[in-house]
Amino acid sequence: MKAELVCFWIAVGLYGVSTFSYIFGLIARQEKLFTVGLYGALAGFIPHTIAIGLRWSETGISPFISISESITLGTFMAVLIFLIFQFSTKKVRPLGVLVMPVVFVLIGWAGTLMKEIATTLAPALQSAWIWVHIIGASAGFGSVLVAAAFGLMYLLKERSSGGIANKLPELQTLDNLSYRFIAGGFIMYGLMIVSGAFWSNQVKGNYWNWDPVEVWSLISWLIYGIYLHLRITFGWRGRKLAWYALIALIAMIISYWGIPFSVETFHKGFRIEH
Amino acid sequence: MIRNIYKFLSSVKLAMALLVVILSCCVVGVTIYRGVEAGTHIFSTFWFNGLLVMLVVNVCFCFFPRILNRKLTLISLGMILFHLSFVAILGGIVFNSLFHFAGLIRLTEGETLPSGDLQSYDFAEQGRFFDIGKLRGDTTLIKMHVGHRVDGADKKVAYEISVGEGEAKKQGIIFITKHLEYRGFRYFCDREGYAVLIVLYDKMGRELYGGYYPLQSLRQEDGSYLYTTGTKDGPGSIAYPYDRPQPLFSLQVAYRPSKISERGGEAFFQVWPLTHEGERPEAKPLAEGKAALGEMFDAGDYYLSLKEVRYWTAMFVRYDPGLPIVLASLWVGFGGMVITFIGRMRRMRN
Ligand code: HEM
Repeated sequence: MKAELVCFWIAVGLYGVSTFSYIFGLIARQEKLFTVGLYGALAGFIPHTIAIGLRWSETGISPFISISESITLGTFMAVLIFLIFQFSTKKVRPLGVLVMPVVFVLIGWAGTLMKEIATTLAPALQSAWIWVHIIGASAGFGSVLVAAAFGLMYLLKERSSGGIANKLPELQTLDNLSYRFIAGGFIMYGLMIVSGAFWSNQVKGNYWNWDPVEVWSLISWLIYGIYLHLRITFGWRGRKLAWYALIALIAMIISYWGIPFSVETFHKGFRIEH
Repeated sequence: MIRNIYKFLSSVKLAMALLVVILSCCVVGVTIYRGVEAGTHIFSTFWFNGLLVMLVVNVCFCFFPRILNRKLTLISLGMILFHLSFVAILGGIVFNSLFHFAGLIRLTEGETLPSGDLQSYDFAEQGRFFDIGKLRGDTTLIKMHVGHRVDGADKKVAYEISVGEGEAKKQGIIFITKHLEYRGFRYFCDREGYAVLIVLYDKMGRELYGGYYPLQSLRQEDGSYLYTTGTKDGPGSIAYPYDRPQPLFSLQVAYRPSKISERGGEAFFQVWPLTHEGERPEAKPLAEGKAALGEMFDAGDYYLSLKEVRYWTAMFVRYDPGLPIVLASLWVGFGGMVITFIGRMRRMRN
């Protein structure tokens, strides 16, 4: 087996350990398991990073194009943001209860879809905009996943008292944290759309064509635009927005990697394949 | 009455309703309808674009009066920039739609067409106030390069073109991520195919006629391509010679490129008695058979030969004077989001 794949599956395994530690930690009210979960995530993040690096260095072609590569990067960003938050504040220990299972399932799915590394990059993708685009998309996904996890924490704290719920920060703090990560994700999605428009303009001469990939990204952006309006103009707070963040996350995963993902839609028309 | 309209247009509820409706349309446009259908049923319709315009009108009536009453802070400044960019984008789109031009021009290598003649375009579309006089001079496809490389990166195909007139003529190589701009007109690669030179001889071997016939590239089930006369929906025959008042017969030509030599290969000919347009040819051809590049094929009273293989290319020609407004506004909007975000972070910290 290739070193890249070994690293990849070790990462998946460690994320699995992390996932089950978090879930059992919550069920059994064992805080120690959260620590196991956190270090499991950190331990998995290392081979995850190496796997991406190896894949990249093998051909020198950015390994963020196919669907499994895209999921691998999206989960990478999510774990990165999660770890940075956890190690810089240590405030919300069970946060991984949502983050890690989602990451684990997604990256496991990516593993089943994995294909050989492309040896050439399609000419349409040979553009600097692609970098801005994929960073916007993956960081956006990472942010809204963490935001949804804060939403879940909010609901947990609201439902139950004592034990773990007691150690969570105030409801209002959780609500604010969730909002901040949504606002950050919204900006990242904005970056994804703007760079996509410039990229399309570079290749086709029009910045917006209502093609499925564009519409899906508009959908993700609008979903969070509506969230911000509900909060700012309509004064929504707390439980309703926590639910909103969780449901929006599902929409996000579908819109990203579900039906629409195909570079094929990018440049249609018959051409000679040389 | 006017008051009620104003009240309606300036309500935040309308803003929310519009956002939700537009979001729903988008979801329908990528699930129930797909691709072209989504365009005809939703995105290109009058009502959908009306909704977008209404959103912008709503921003003007609802957002600005509310925010301008407040103290200017980082947060409100960002919001103003963000919502303002919506208005500017719409302005840019409207302006552009009045003055723009878009055309698809198809040329065989070596061919030159007048840029300002709408006949030169397979398809052309223009804004009400577009001045066709702006399209000066000619458009020439000099050569199509296969396997074009730039700094080691494979661009697959590139078109060497020249546009314009006289002194100001501009020549350049374009590929998928690089266009050529001439006096505000931008030339973009779109697609390409083979064009074969089919020459007609009499039985004595004297050359009677020759013309370039563009071929379609039809993807086969096994993933390979069939290059043949016909339409994009399938193979078909053409009247040959197509540019004579009296064509001689119906001809279908399929070309098989050589794996070894670029622009080499062989042709497969099928000749039928001439049919009128739309009429099906008889089941059995008068003659059919293969001939390599440069060889003669016996077509009954005549000989035919595939004499040369060239490429045809189709390019999009665009003129979009509103584009800079839209593109700049995108960054203004993005900047607005970032400024609001920074403002909120600072407030939370205090
Ligand atoms: C796609 C469309 C829109 C998006 C994505 C959007 C986004 C936003 C964002 C991001 C904010 C600031 C939230 C924050 O603090 O981070 C905001 C505030 C606001 N937006 Fe929009 N907006 C859109 C359209 C509209 C429209 C059509 C209106 C017109 C009514 C509107 C009215 C407002 C108002 C009134 C505020 C807040 C001002 C307040 O504090 O009351 N927005 N919007």
